[in-house]
Amino acid sequence: MMTKRLAISGLVIATTAIVAAYALVFIQGAATNAGAMLMVFGIATMAVSLMTLGAVRTGEKLGVLAFAFVFVFAVLMIGFTLALLLPAGDNAATRLFLGLPPRAAIVVYGIGLLPVFVLPLIYAATFEERTLSEQDLERIKAAAAAHAETQKTGGDR
Amino acid sequence: MIPVNALLQTAALPTLTQPVIVGVAVGYFVIVALIGAWATRRTRTAKDFFVAGKGIGLIPLTLATMSATLSGFAFIGGPGLMYSLGLGAMFIILPAAITNTMSAWVLAKRMRLLGEVRGLITIPDALRVRFRSPAAQGLAAVAILIAVVGYMATNLLALGLVIDAIFGTGLGWGIWIGMGIILGYSVAGGIMAGIYTDVFQGSLMALSSVLVFMYALKAGGGAGMIRSILDSDPEFFAPWGKLPPLAALSFFFVFGIGSLAQPHVVHKFYMLRDPRRLKWYPMLTSVALMVTLLLFFGVGTATKALVIQGELAPLARPDDATPTFLLRFTPVLLSALVFSGVAAAIMSTVNSFMSIAAAALTHDIPMSIGRRIKDELKWGRIFTVVISIIAAFVAQASGTLVAFLGIFGWGLFASTMVPALAIGLNWKGATREGAIASISLGLVSTLVLETLGYMRVFSLPTGVTVSGISLALSLMVFLAVSWATRGGRGSAIDADVSMVMDT
Repeated sequence: MMTKRLAISGLVIATTAIVAAYALVFIQGAATNAGAMLMVFGIATMAVSLMTLGAVRTGEKLGVLAFAFVFVFAVLMIGFTLALLLPAGDNAATRLFLGLPPRAAIVVYGIGLLPVFVLPLIYAATFEERTLSEQDLERIKAAAAAHAETQKTGGDR
Repeated sequence: MIPVNALLQTAALPTLTQPVIVGVAVGYFVIVALIGAWATRRTRTAKDFFVAGKGIGLIPLTLATMSATLSGFAFIGGPGLMYSLGLGAMFIILPAAITNTMSAWVLAKRMRLLGEVRGLITIPDALRVRFRSPAAQGLAAVAILIAVVGYMATNLLALGLVIDAIFGTGLGWGIWIGMGIILGYSVAGGIMAGIYTDVFQGSLMALSSVLVFMYALKAGGGAGMIRSILDSDPEFFAPWGKLPPLAALSFFFVFGIGSLAQPHVVHKFYMLRDPRRLKWYPMLTSVALMVTLLLFFGVGTATKALVIQGELAPLARPDDATPTFLLRFTPVLLSALVFSGVAAAIMSTVNSFMSIAAAALTHDIPMSIGRRIKDELKWGRIFTVVISIIAAFVAQASGTLVAFLGIFGWGLFASTMVPALAIGLNWKGATREGAIASISLGLVSTLVLETLGYMRVFSLPTGVTVSGISLALSLMVFLAVSWATRGGRGSAIDADVSMVMDT
């Protein structure tokens, strides 16, 4: 219950940060880096909170999934923050990283590609234990059969 | 601020009436028709029609999800946006690295199991059983209908443009011919036909995207392509491209979090035969999407470099990037495959929209007012025709109205359904009142703000989007109202639904 509660608190904080990011534009009359940082924090926190809410069953702790969620939070926060704060001024002489200037590489490879090599693997590796086991499925099938029986005998919900 | 039209295909494509392109396109449509005919023979019940008999495997699920997610925008509008905005355009597709696993954790298992326990066939169905609320089901169905008509109209318009460019039919006939072809297999075979044509269409999209990406690297000159752009237009490769950071991040927010509530995509979770096969769903879908989106980045970047290098004249319109590049720098057979791939992307998306809209009219809205339609299969087919004809007429009203109708589709789905579906299925503290309040707010705020913006009553500052604001407000209202009404009658959850939420 504690982990779910933390995830909901995370969602409240994330939503507030995103609303504040938009509100800052109206208050200050233009988009600023402060607003962008609030949005980055809001997006990272919301993504991790939603994943936690979905992945953790009631009463369970995060366990090994904590690595996945810390990873996502770090990739988004660090990646976007570097993109915001690293100095501009790329030109033809800029040293390329895997074919892209460093700030673009952070966005494309760091945020757009790196999670593909990590998250699906963690999901698959923890699937039996944390997502759906044979026993879970048996219980669900029994509930489905019970519901079908209720419908057949004229019961309704 | 990005003009509405930048995200949509509304301008004519260059003429493509070449024998090879026409031949491949005809061959493509014949294959689609044959698959549709085969699937039609397997469609006998409403369950077959709306959820493919809940009997599809993981690979069809993956390819169908990918095909439904990507419309023609990924092949035409996306590369054009990349050409004009630089890296900023990538923020529409960057979230895909995270969203597939996120949706697997947040939605896939719970929806599939809920479908197993209660025999659900639609997304509003899930909201009804979770919140014991026909009103939530009805409101969600209304939101789906409004969004789908606009979305379908923009996709039919894009399909009309592609058919006109290939066959020279004229736009009006292009729209009706395209709609007729999709309608042919959708009415007869429902989502069953859609899924199996998606397997063919998705494979075609992925294959053509990889091949075009390789040609783009070759034509642009590899690393030289990047250096020539950096030399002449360094902003192109700035982290946010030519967008302000907040605007790019707004894209990431709406397209990332909003992906959790795209009904034409997430309702496919009901269709998987064996829920334990979900284990590999995020990996396969992520890889399929990444591969298919190579064209988005490759063609947009290569075209920019080729224009800078003087190999291509500056484009009259950004949407010309893909056709111009293909016709100049790839073999005609590959061009033909890609143009068929564009049609495939559009058709697979439209088929999914037809299915969810017909289900909303046949199943969800009657149920929300306490009625059941007896022959859902027959009426599903009739409503598929009705919705398609309405969308085709709307598509013919070409111009900014169509663009306006299409643009809020994604935002409307996101703001009305992310809170109740993504949070509601995973948090027992969510209440019926919270769900109804957030769906209503999402519906009203998106419609009112988008309409006022379209009528130029006001304009939002750069970086702020209606879809972003509506989604954030809808989330906030859902959490606040659920908290305020906790412990009341709207908090009750049926035992079997509670068991699914605990699993």
